[in-house]
Amino acid sequence: MTKISMFYKGLALLVSIFMLCCISGTAEAQERPGKSCVSTELDKVLKGFDDQPSTIKENKELDDALKGFEEGEGAAEESTQKEEAKKPPFCGLSGSLSLGVSYSFAHDAPKLGETDYRGLSRLCPDFHLDLDLAFLENWKALISGRAFYDFAYEINGRDKYTDEVLDEYEKEAEFREVYLQGSLLASLDLKVGRQIVVWGKSDNIRVVDVLNPLDNREPGLVDIEDLRLPVTMTKLDYYLGKWNLTAIAVHEIRFNKNPVFGSEFFPFETPLPEEEKPVNSLDNTEYALALNGIFRGWDISFYGARYFDDQPHIERVSPGHLKRRHSRLSMIGTAVNIALGNWLLKSEAAYFEGLEFFAVPVEKKSRFDVLAGVEYSGFTNTTISLEAVNRHINDFHSTLKAPPDSAQKDEFQTVLRYSGDFLHDTLHLVMLASTFGVTGDDGALQRFSVEYDVTDAFSMKLGLVTYQSGDKVQFRNIGDNDRLFFEANYSF
Amino acid sequence: MKNTRQIYLASILILILATIFAGTLAFADDPKARAIMEKVDARDDGDNMTADMEMILIDKRGKKRIRRIRTFSKNKGEDTLKLMFFLEPADVKDTAFLTYDYDDADKDDDQWLYLPALRKTKRIASSDKTSSFMGSDFSYADMTKRVLENYDYKLLKEMEVRGQKTWLIESLPRTKRVIDQYGYTRSVLFVRQDNFVVVRAVHWVKEGKRLKYMDVKKLEFIDHIWQPTEIHMTTKKAKHTLHKTIMKWHNVKFNQNLGEDLFTVRQMEKGL
Repeated sequence: MTKISMFYKGLALLVSIFMLCCISGTAEAQERPGKSCVSTELDKVLKGFDDQPSTIKENKELDDALKGFEEGEGAAEESTQKEEAKKPPFCGLSGSLSLGVSYSFAHDAPKLGETDYRGLSRLCPDFHLDLDLAFLENWKALISGRAFYDFAYEINGRDKYTDEVLDEYEKEAEFREVYLQGSLLASLDLKVGRQIVVWGKSDNIRVVDVLNPLDNREPGLVDIEDLRLPVTMTKLDYYLGKWNLTAIAVHEIRFNKNPVFGSEFFPFETPLPEEEKPVNSLDNTEYALALNGIFRGWDISFYGARYFDDQPHIERVSPGHLKRRHSRLSMIGTAVNIALGNWLLKSEAAYFEGLEFFAVPVEKKSRFDVLAGVEYSGFTNTTISLEAVNRHINDFHSTLKAPPDSAQKDEFQTVLRYSGDFLHDTLHLVMLASTFGVTGDDGALQRFSVEYDVTDAFSMKLGLVTYQSGDKVQFRNIGDNDRLFFEANYSF
Repeated sequence: MKNTRQIYLASILILILATIFAGTLAFADDPKARAIMEKVDARDDGDNMTADMEMILIDKRGKKRIRRIRTFSKNKGEDTLKLMFFLEPADVKDTAFLTYDYDDADKDDDQWLYLPALRKTKRIASSDKTSSFMGSDFSYADMTKRVLENYDYKLLKEMEVRGQKTWLIESLPRTKRVIDQYGYTRSVLFVRQDNFVVVRAVHWVKEGKRLKYMDVKKLEFIDHIWQPTEIHMTTKKAKHTLHKTIMKWHNVKFNQNLGEDLFTVRQMEKGL
């Protein structure tokens, strides 16, 4: 036999073996989803039905398997009875009572005259109450409020804290959302009152979401439900096919709740200049428009707003006299969502005009923010998302880098978030890492929390927040503010 | 030498054809079983439906948790629109879930979730339907209609379930993608012969060597539609019950005047 014919023989043998493997593999693959049903495996499985004896006797193992059904709890019935649907009640009261405890564990002993932030930093019962009212055909109202009192200040000694801290952190009672909503026409809805309107597709970073200020007093520690502060607005929504046009007038001028002088999260050694807040008036009314389209597999929104910047800038009003003022900004932006299998792609972009800075008092600057994000839901009961934003100030001048502006030409932020539900939705794990600057040199925080639902109404949460100081103003000197926190919550 | 080469090449060709043929045979299904499943699929399961759903979640220690949901559903051609408002427990009250369940197997369903805590409607991109529905033993896959083209069917035998004759039909996913998407490697369905309702099923869960037993405990004839009004889904591993969910429907009504504008993000955000 020649070498060539030996080669073909060998080749044929190899191919034959390969093909036989393929055939057996195909059979195996077919067996993986489903072996023959007269197999022992299936018969064992069908024992899972806790049933009456089968009428088929020829395969005892299969019949045993069918016993997995729990017959004892009542056989199937057939009836034509109808129950009367309950009408929704005129009013409903709901809410929650929680107790939050946090412990600051990373601080060094304070220097003379400094506040000692070590140890207990929060022992706070927090009460939320919602009153829902429904009337007429399509109208309803909500009145909600929140009150808390933090005993940590009393326990640690109130004289250790500045007045600003006690005013801002120790206790609070306020109306949250208070609104009336309904339909004026078949395609026209009205919602008027104190409310929250969330814009954009991102879940972790705000680009076009400019209408409601935030509670930033304890970054990373504020409950998501309390993070956005409601403001009084009149909101009209007009619906046409897949599109919806929203027109908003904001009547209440309200800004972020920021850390105050003397708090752990306040970045400066001295108090800030007095803040000048625009009064609620017709002239100061904020306006906003949104056009939203919802389509098969994707959504798109366009936004425009004329509003006051939630973050103030410092302005010299006379020689030696500084004030914090809020610039009047214009914003146009867009946001897109695209669903691809288990992936959700998100993008937002916005152009802002009217930014003011201490260093260039006669100029107004513009900024361009771009966000890209992706969310993956392909793992069972798990969602992982990554979002990144860059905020670019146009015509940036190096003097803006100096205090009190401390601005950056490009401010980059990423947020990585993991959430998973386990044990039939009784155990919830959330991990979030927010990083400023490409390498985190502008500051970072990480939050880990695990929540367990003891009953339908009662849950307990344990978590950890860690901070890294950085060049970003809000992240200066906060690296020692790491906290362990615990929350017990009863909902009703 | 030339003949030798031709013989070997021919043998390779025959083996290739044999492989293809074997593969074709392996994936062929039983026409009788498919005919039954087509009738199951074509069964009138009602349109313009409203109902109150109650889910009782029972863990292996017997501890119960209860969820209550108001549901609406409507057929749009071959597609199904579904809207759910969560009523209880209190911490998920006003959460709403909207699904456009497309009959076309190549199209992912559209899903949105309104989260009242965030005051935000969020699009859900998940072709993976293996996640648990509100912590129950039902997955999102169990809540949607199966696409017949995704499965091979085989008629195993006939059996009686609670005095009613049923066909036992084995359902095998045709592709790994379907297994990944729906989470089951195999199912055995009990189809009642008189009304083509699936009254029982066993599902082999892809992961964890678990089995899920679906059992229709109560079947009612409402507005000329056969409607299961109590279903038990039990997750077992090696004969031991890991978790169980009892799903009940109350106030079931068909042929209600439900417009398509009910099944919108607008309605989710407005609430009930």
